[in-house]
Amino acid sequence: MALFVLKRALLLGLMLIGLILIMFTISHVAPGDPAAVAAGPDATREMVEVIREEYGLDEPLPVQFWIYLTNVLQGDLGRSIRTTRDVTHDLLRYFPATFELVMVAMLLAVLIGVPLGMLAAVFRDRGLDHAIRLVSVSSVALPMFWLGLLLQFFISLKLGWLPLGGQLGLLTERPPPITHLILVDALLRGQFDVFREALAHIILPAIALSAPALAAIIRVNRAEMIEVLHQDFIVTARAHGISQFRIVAVYALRNAMIPTLAMIGLRFGWMLGGTVLVEGVFDWPGIGLYAVQSAVNSDFQPVMGATLLIGFSFMLANFMIDIAYGWLDPRLREAQ
Amino acid sequence: MQLHPRRFARLAALLTAAVLVAGGPAAETAQAFERKGDKFILVFGGRQPVPQLDPSQKYDWSTRMMQQALYDALVKYEGDPPEIKPWLAERWEVSPDAKVWTFHLVKTAKFHNGDPVDAEAVRFSFERTLKINKGPAWMLSSVLKPEGIKVVDPHTIRFELTDPFAPFLSFVPWWYVMNPKQVLANQDGDDLGQKWLTDNAAGSGPFRIKRWEQGVLYELEAVPDYWKGWRQEKPLAGVIYKLIREAASQKAALQRGEADIVEGLSPEDFDIVAKMPGIKVENHPGMTTFGIKFNVQQPPMDDINLRKAVAHAFDYEAFLKIYNGNAKLQTSPFPFATKGHIDVPGFTRQDLDKARAYLAKSRYPDGGIELEYVYVQGLEEERKMGLVLIDNLKPLNISVKMVPLTWPNMTARGAKLESSPDLMAIFATPVATDPDAVAFQYHKESWGKYYGTSYYDNEKVWSLIEKGRRVADWSERAPIYAEIQKMITADQPEIFGMLANRRWAMRDYVKGFQFSPVRFTGEVDLYTLEIGE
Amino acid sequence: MSAGSEATTPAPRRGLADWRQRHASTLRSLRLYAHTFSRSVSSMLGLGLVLLFFLLVLIGPWIVPFPEDARGAVNLDIKLQAPDATHWFGTDEVGNDIFTRVVLGTRVSFQIGLIVVAIALVIGVPLGIVAGLAGGWLRETIMRVTDVFLSVPGLVLALAVVAVLGPGILNAILALALVWWPGYVRLIESKTLALKSEPFVDAARAVGAGTARIVFLHILPNCVSPIVVKASMDMGLAILAAASLGFIGLGAQPPHPEWGAMISIGRHYLPDFWWYSTFPGLAIYLTVLGFNLLGDGLRDILDPKTRSR
Repeated sequence: MALFVLKRALLLGLMLIGLILIMFTISHVAPGDPAAVAAGPDATREMVEVIREEYGLDEPLPVQFWIYLTNVLQGDLGRSIRTTRDVTHDLLRYFPATFELVMVAMLLAVLIGVPLGMLAAVFRDRGLDHAIRLVSVSSVALPMFWLGLLLQFFISLKLGWLPLGGQLGLLTERPPPITHLILVDALLRGQFDVFREALAHIILPAIALSAPALAAIIRVNRAEMIEVLHQDFIVTARAHGISQFRIVAVYALRNAMIPTLAMIGLRFGWMLGGTVLVEGVFDWPGIGLYAVQSAVNSDFQPVMGATLLIGFSFMLANFMIDIAYGWLDPRLREAQ
Repeated sequence: MQLHPRRFARLAALLTAAVLVAGGPAAETAQAFERKGDKFILVFGGRQPVPQLDPSQKYDWSTRMMQQALYDALVKYEGDPPEIKPWLAERWEVSPDAKVWTFHLVKTAKFHNGDPVDAEAVRFSFERTLKINKGPAWMLSSVLKPEGIKVVDPHTIRFELTDPFAPFLSFVPWWYVMNPKQVLANQDGDDLGQKWLTDNAAGSGPFRIKRWEQGVLYELEAVPDYWKGWRQEKPLAGVIYKLIREAASQKAALQRGEADIVEGLSPEDFDIVAKMPGIKVENHPGMTTFGIKFNVQQPPMDDINLRKAVAHAFDYEAFLKIYNGNAKLQTSPFPFATKGHIDVPGFTRQDLDKARAYLAKSRYPDGGIELEYVYVQGLEEERKMGLVLIDNLKPLNISVKMVPLTWPNMTARGAKLESSPDLMAIFATPVATDPDAVAFQYHKESWGKYYGTSYYDNEKVWSLIEKGRRVADWSERAPIYAEIQKMITADQPEIFGMLANRRWAMRDYVKGFQFSPVRFTGEVDLYTLEIGE
Repeated sequence: MSAGSEATTPAPRRGLADWRQRHASTLRSLRLYAHTFSRSVSSMLGLGLVLLFFLLVLIGPWIVPFPEDARGAVNLDIKLQAPDATHWFGTDEVGNDIFTRVVLGTRVSFQIGLIVVAIALVIGVPLGIVAGLAGGWLRETIMRVTDVFLSVPGLVLALAVVAVLGPGILNAILALALVWWPGYVRLIESKTLALKSEPFVDAARAVGAGTARIVFLHILPNCVSPIVVKASMDMGLAILAAASLGFIGLGAQPPHPEWGAMISIGRHYLPDFWWYSTFPGLAIYLTVLGFNLLGDGLRDILDPKTRSR
């Protein structure tokens, strides 16, 4: 087992370096002069050179890559050339908001997707199944950002039920940080008003973000449930007079949870990617918004940093799933 | 199959409902403004963050709004037309050759930590900005060296410039004074406190930092015993600058009273909110000119007749339509609020007959060329102007290719004569009211800067610009700048466009708003605001 | 489907009846496909939507009321008008007809989708076959590089690429193609691996067939079904991704009538001028929905093993 984990970890490290190389290559085909931008529109030539030297932009490319690589591995993602701020520092500040949003969105996808998948399986090929299929196909096809705008338009502006954007009301103070996740911190600090407020703010962006994952979870659950319902032990249970409700809710659901969990791991990365669309719509101060704002200003270091962070989180999630599978299924370990 | 569909349906519905109900009725809207005791906290909804607060490193509208609230300078711009008011300096003198400037400081000024604001602090701050050589450094770095800053006594400071520089005073309001002790105590290596001042302040201004949540909001609290005192009866307890990036959210926040002032709405939205009860719109002619710069040294735009043809074909009224009438057409290369502005006689307006006549005289009598129009990607108004341009030049058989670029790529294109595009959309805000701040954009030294992408080439104008800097006496300077305005107009290095109005929408209980065109778009002097009942 | 299909050998010109007879089994299965497909409501809906939008791509410029509005006309006097009899979807901020721009936007989106999927195929399929056939370090290298690309959500990587190259249709296509090919490598590699050990491939090799012959006669034809299914889905997803880049402001640029960019500008005019961002959004939704349903339907008939997944 230890060897298996080690091998996987080694692979993880190699992939990370590969990703850094890709990002570095991409960022160095840029046409503009980053130093001139950082120096500001009115800067003199000498001012530009000051910046160029400060950011190491006057070194040859391989040297720049080596510097970048060693810096990244030490957790230093460089500085934003537009704001002069430290990228690692900024990412750490914005990541909890994104993490919280992704977690809630995932929870929503599971809590809505699993029952819908079950229902579709139980009512297979009937009206309800078709209706659910439409929901699931639609939630893939709906552009996330457009869904977000629709939710804002109807739920916030027309009905006034939920706030338009942000993490908290304008004047509400964040609970003193423990985990840096507002929902969790508010509960830990016993600030239930803040918790409700944070919850009200997170629901719409979470719905918009969860749409594609919802579709996947519905599909997987439906398929899995159909299979399970035909298996011997279910048939036996039914013959023993165990109620249909109990069969589906307990036995079948338990079996269908395994592929659902795998799906969650897979979707985690995609959801992190989706934040670049959703956070902008809902003014959600996370890394997606940060990446987009930097991207439209050709500020590469933050874009690279955010991409690396998202990529690394995704890799890490898959790594952990691999390990979990290896632990659950010894055959997999030996096959490696 | 023996199913009990209703039960499953109920289970699923319950699960789903549990999720939805959790956040249902929690959306109580905030009250109009926050009270703190019997005082108020004003909420400003803005779109641009303040990632770098250091006055020696950066300025843009949102940054400077915060800097102006946290720091003081020797003098301050106030009013419309903008006047330079004594601030940390109670009076000043200048030598007749505009080379030596002496400022006498008030004796009562204190930094937030209680330290006095003395001549040494002023010297340190100017030197720091010059040494770091970022942000506002360019304004004075050509004439001011650290050795030239002399502390005469604790309340007198003298600047001995390397060359005569009449506009000196007009830049001084943007050189904020920092507390040397605080800055040096927080140095990281020898960075002169650059890292620390990014998110902290060491000033003497009317406000100090309370909360600084980068990317979310910035809260200032008023300094009750501000050395300059408060003019209003009931000063604010503080200001929250909340980042609201979407226009729809800004509008909704204002409407619900969650924000007291918002900026940056679309022209249509300003018109809509102006009609809402309880909301007023401040609407003032600004100092930001919009022009479409020609590259006058590269074909085809090196042909003055072609430039004149294009400029006469342009539908200037479209500007007014785009801004729903809230803009003013330029009548000179200089903005109206610039000192010495004149209405240049016979300023270019749309006239298709003239346009055709000029085109006939040019190297391209039948048109048949394609011009490249470069603008900032994502900037709505510039995009619309491009569409107008396409439309207007069709009768001349000239086509236009729209090339949106990000600002960095755009300035990179403009930085070289060869790559500077035929047409480039530029909003330019002079940082000072002195005419030199605008005139110098047409000097050779400005070539390659974003406002110098036309590579304007007229030695007579250049020598006039240089001459204007060397005299301190305004009555001598005024005619020079009148001449400069006429000469630049005649050369048509760009389509001289318009000045859009600056607008803010605010709740009607917000009082004390003072507009000054020399501040940037969106920038508000928070010091004078108050909330009336 | 059986392996080495006869259809690839050039058929001498004979009578139609003869042709029918020779291809009786293929025709029979095609008819069966068509039958299965047409019985599925959702598949037919998908096909209908896709055909409708293809029709708009073809005849769009001739049926729209204001074709010049897609090339950047300016009618400031009628800006932001609500939908009415002349302007079915209303007008935008410079007075262009939104219906015209949405219809002509079909061309932009389909163009992007087709090119992205085509480039992804051209890069991904050969790499997948090479990886599957070669094995060893070559396979390892190709697959690890693929993994690295797949480790970042496509949209994020595309965002980074476009941030560097600058906004625009070409750059958006480039960026999306760059992140799209790895999916095909994975698909084709696993398919090739599976086929490699099939008896008929072994047999072909035993009688001395060269690698090229095996690839073109035995492997590629058997990859067609999964490719068709995936490409159909990907058309929709690539259109969605391109619209997403447009929405962020880094995709197609005005006056190009691109749906995502239209929504991006239109949202500044919400909620009062709701029609501006509503109709382009609807167009994206229906297009992507069409391709997804079509892909689903195709999978059901071409790839029944994975049907219930």
